[in-house]
Amino acid sequence: MDVLSPFELEVARLLVETLHLEGIRPEEIAPEEPLFGEGLGLDSIDALELALAISKTYGFQLRSDDKENQRVFTSLRALSAHVAQQRAR
Amino acid sequence: MSRQWARLPERGHPLALGLIRWIALHVGRSAGRVLLYPITLYFLATATVARRSSRRYLRRVLGREPGWRDRFRHVHCFAATILDRVYFLTGQLDQFEIEIFGGQRILDQAASGRGCILLGSHLGSFDALRALGVTLRHLPIKILMNTAHNRAMAQVLDALNPTLAQTIIPIGAPDTLLKVQESLEQGCMIGALGDRVARGEKTVRCRFFGQETALPIGPILLAALMNRPVILCFGLYRGGNRYDIHFEPLAERIVLDRRQRREQLGVWVQRYADRLAHYARLAPYNWFNFYDYWEEDGS
Repeated sequence: MDVLSPFELEVARLLVETLHLEGIRPEEIAPEEPLFGEGLGLDSIDALELALAISKTYGFQLRSDDKENQRVFTSLRALSAHVAQQRAR
Repeated sequence: MSRQWARLPERGHPLALGLIRWIALHVGRSAGRVLLYPITLYFLATATVARRSSRRYLRRVLGREPGWRDRFRHVHCFAATILDRVYFLTGQLDQFEIEIFGGQRILDQAASGRGCILLGSHLGSFDALRALGVTLRHLPIKILMNTAHNRAMAQVLDALNPTLAQTIIPIGAPDTLLKVQESLEQGCMIGALGDRVARGEKTVRCRFFGQETALPIGPILLAALMNRPVILCFGLYRGGNRYDIHFEPLAERIVLDRRQRREQLGVWVQRYADRLAHYARLAPYNWFNFYDYWEEDGS
């Protein structure tokens, strides 16, 4: 099974805590699983809430005009990589 | 609420819509309105689900068994507002008598530059107030819309006014609400219709005309997350060339407590449902949700 990196686990904790995902433990999220629709089943309002939490925690705002977004929201792994990259700037 | 509407085949062939548009623009409103009669009869004859839904709704709002006149009037009202959309979207507002109630509220809100949620419904014509706000008053209004559902209608209508079409934010992508967030931060007013549930959308149970149905929590939750006021708006068709547009504040501020979030959202959505019912009683034939709204067919 795919193991989460420490940073992916940190983002997973933020995700579970922010969205109050009941019955899901952060370490159990499959890193390549889709976050929206299938998989975790998040929706657009979850994405907004997550974006607000990311902005508060990591100090940058996810922008809708970012062409990366389609990819960013595909999985925990893609999201974590994006956050790590943006935060470092 | 039933999600049946999303599965219904599109009513209105692009060609038929194109014809309505052509007649509306080249022949005029009077001639176009004559054609509403055969169109209404055709719709009543062929649209079984819509006919049944109309009867059930009318029974509730009128508090009696609807006669054929009521049922005809209901569909005719719908057809009339579709015809008028052509005029609203092309900015031909001078042929209408439009009365506005609570308009100062919306002008004050626009002047504040803070943005808000304009919460509407499929009761009456949202385009009436959209055209009035954007075209006439130059208000910064953007609309959240399920464009995937009725693509034929959306394309025909968008072509009429590309500028107005640009103010549509399509629902369905993960970053839809990031666009909304940015628009609100720029001081835009975001129009949303709160009476239909999109696929996969989160809902809460409400009482509506004495019976339970599910309504979306999205618009209220959005207002809470973005800390923006919610203003209700209804554009009601009153027959002839008359429209009444109503604005009223629902919430200046929505504060949610993490642990009781669902319950608190439920209270706000119920208030919306109550106002929606109030305006539906005021203009009963303006209800344009022609599907199994109260989930009575079972699925």
